[in-house]
Amino acid sequence: MSSASVRPSASPAPSLDSVTTIRSDGSRFFLHPADSAGRFTLLRRVTGWGLIVFYLSLPWIKIGGFPAVFLDAASRRFHFFGWTAAAQDMWLLFFVLSGTGFLLFFLTALLGRVWCGWACPQTVFLEQVYRRLERWIEGDAMARRKLDAARWTAAKVVRRGAKHAGFAVLSLVITHLFLAYFVSVPALWSMMRAAPGEHGGAFLFVFVFAGILYFNFAWFREQLCIVLCPYGRLQSVLIDDDSLVIGYDTRRGEPRGKYRREVTRAGSRDATVGDCVDCHRCVAVCPTGIDIRQGLQIECIGCTACIDACDEIMARLKRPAGLIRYDSLNGLGGRPTRWVRPRTIAYAVLLLIGGSAAAWAVSTVRPAAVGLTRMVGSAYFFDGATVRNQFFVRLVNKQDTPQQLLVQLRDVPAGVVAAGLDAPVALAGMGEEVRPLVVVVPRSRYAGAFHFTVVVRDEAGTFELTRDAEFLGPDPGLLREDEEAHEGPNRK
Amino acid sequence: MSDPAHLAPPEDAFRPHAYDGIREYDKRLPNWWLWTLYLTIIFSVVYWFYYFTTGVGPDDRTTINREMQRIEDAKLASVGSLNDEVLWKMSRNPVSVDAGKATFTTTCVICHLASLRGKAESPAAVGASLIGTKWIYGGRPVELVGVVSKGTLRGMPAWGPVLGTRRITEVVAYVLSHHEPGEPVEIVASPAPGVK
Repeated sequence: MSSASVRPSASPAPSLDSVTTIRSDGSRFFLHPADSAGRFTLLRRVTGWGLIVFYLSLPWIKIGGFPAVFLDAASRRFHFFGWTAAAQDMWLLFFVLSGTGFLLFFLTALLGRVWCGWACPQTVFLEQVYRRLERWIEGDAMARRKLDAARWTAAKVVRRGAKHAGFAVLSLVITHLFLAYFVSVPALWSMMRAAPGEHGGAFLFVFVFAGILYFNFAWFREQLCIVLCPYGRLQSVLIDDDSLVIGYDTRRGEPRGKYRREVTRAGSRDATVGDCVDCHRCVAVCPTGIDIRQGLQIECIGCTACIDACDEIMARLKRPAGLIRYDSLNGLGGRPTRWVRPRTIAYAVLLLIGGSAAAWAVSTVRPAAVGLTRMVGSAYFFDGATVRNQFFVRLVNKQDTPQQLLVQLRDVPAGVVAAGLDAPVALAGMGEEVRPLVVVVPRSRYAGAFHFTVVVRDEAGTFELTRDAEFLGPDPGLLREDEEAHEGPNRK
Repeated sequence: MSDPAHLAPPEDAFRPHAYDGIREYDKRLPNWWLWTLYLTIIFSVVYWFYYFTTGVGPDDRTTINREMQRIEDAKLASVGSLNDEVLWKMSRNPVSVDAGKATFTTTCVICHLASLRGKAESPAAVGASLIGTKWIYGGRPVELVGVVSKGTLRGMPAWGPVLGTRRITEVVAYVLSHHEPGEPVEIVASPAPGVK
């Protein structure tokens, strides 16, 4: 562990006991990973850009009259690919969040940290967008290190300034598109053309969020993965010796030996030397600054750069690829990988149960919602001739087209009269209406509290919503006593 | 998962304690982390002094009272100009009356019936008659607004929070359109026989 280096750009040696990017004096060692090239780099580029295009395009694609993903928090309507959830459906978020987390755990048990290296926005945006810009403006890793160490000349100011200006613009673009998910693209355009003061909240949000993104992608980078991200910290409980990780084949690579040309030319390989020639390419390309040959480490985000780097060297040495590869820890140790094991079985079963519950939950969502509340005030009203309960029925139209809803009662005892149910309630698109519902029981028919059901249907009868309600009233025995006391015992 | 080639770090790399056999490295935290911590400590001290100690910033009670006062003022501003005269004028304004009729039809007809006669028309009706000169809780326009907003103990719901001031004044204007200014107001104790 070096203290403040004489050459600040010199790479501290990766070690299992320290984080390469945090020097022993607490200062940050800023990494400049070398370029990697190979099949995984290409695959990741394609995947990454596919995800970016997906993210950028969703607010522009209209499905069912709304953007594909439109989280209209202001009107409490959330649109996903033609399906609309209202605020009343917020409880479904439980399934979404827990299901996503659980799916992630399941995938991690099987495939290790593939999320980090292939799909996480941190890696995708950093590797495919920000680092590309940096590479284009400032050059490769060696050039960037030289620029770091150079004095502040005009050329350096221009280069650095251009890069940071580019980073700022990228951060603003990403933030504005993020905002589009919440306000939709047309509203975003009009907000952008208006003065900042008119949409102070949105302006402040964009300013702050873009600042955070800029700070993250310009400087913070791998510190988020290493220090902040909880997923990285959870790895030690999520993976085991049969999960896929990126690892170095110690049995094949050790002991490391310098490449001896005459040995390979002869066609046979020196059995006393392993395939690893200690070229340090895997270390040079690592974006978190580790040496994967030291084993699986928390900093490794599974970005596959070291795989491509080593494969490239192996190809040049005419040795088989895969000295660093995707394999389980058991696999790297020469033992078979168990894909089906208690952990994965348990995860799969729980995922099935959760998925079924989620599917059922979503199937209960209807194009309308109803809320039934008792009116504020007394639970019941007795005026001598009738016992009366008063309710509010709140009808919510979750579609953006008008609809008519019928309100009816079910399971009501004979003689009970309900007022407020005759005409269908007309609801505007995405509209809500509150209607009073008054349930009256004549004294002669009153036999105590009872449960009934409020049923809301559309006119065509395609869906039905029910709410349970309870009719409350005085103790019927007391009513009878009171009546007999005033009217005489023989009076009905 | 430890690499067998990894040599044990020197003893001075560890802190002196061991909890359940777990040793702790003696490493410096990253400076950005430390400074974030220091800044949050400073912020909390400043916050504490600003809001709770020196009284420069408003405390929670003051803030809530201010907000409540602001709401009351807003309510007063919309209602404050309400008096009998304004309401009678509204009751002669077709726009207000039509809007009030729409609200009445969806909200009030259930109990007071479409003819506004309520119990006077049918004993099964829940609401009192809004036609004629007999009133239970007062017949002046401002009193009507009060009854509709706050409700009564006998079951008239408090419509203030549900409808809002504007719709209530429109509904009252609609009711008043069936009356003449200056007609007598007779307070009766109860709307129907049988109430004890």
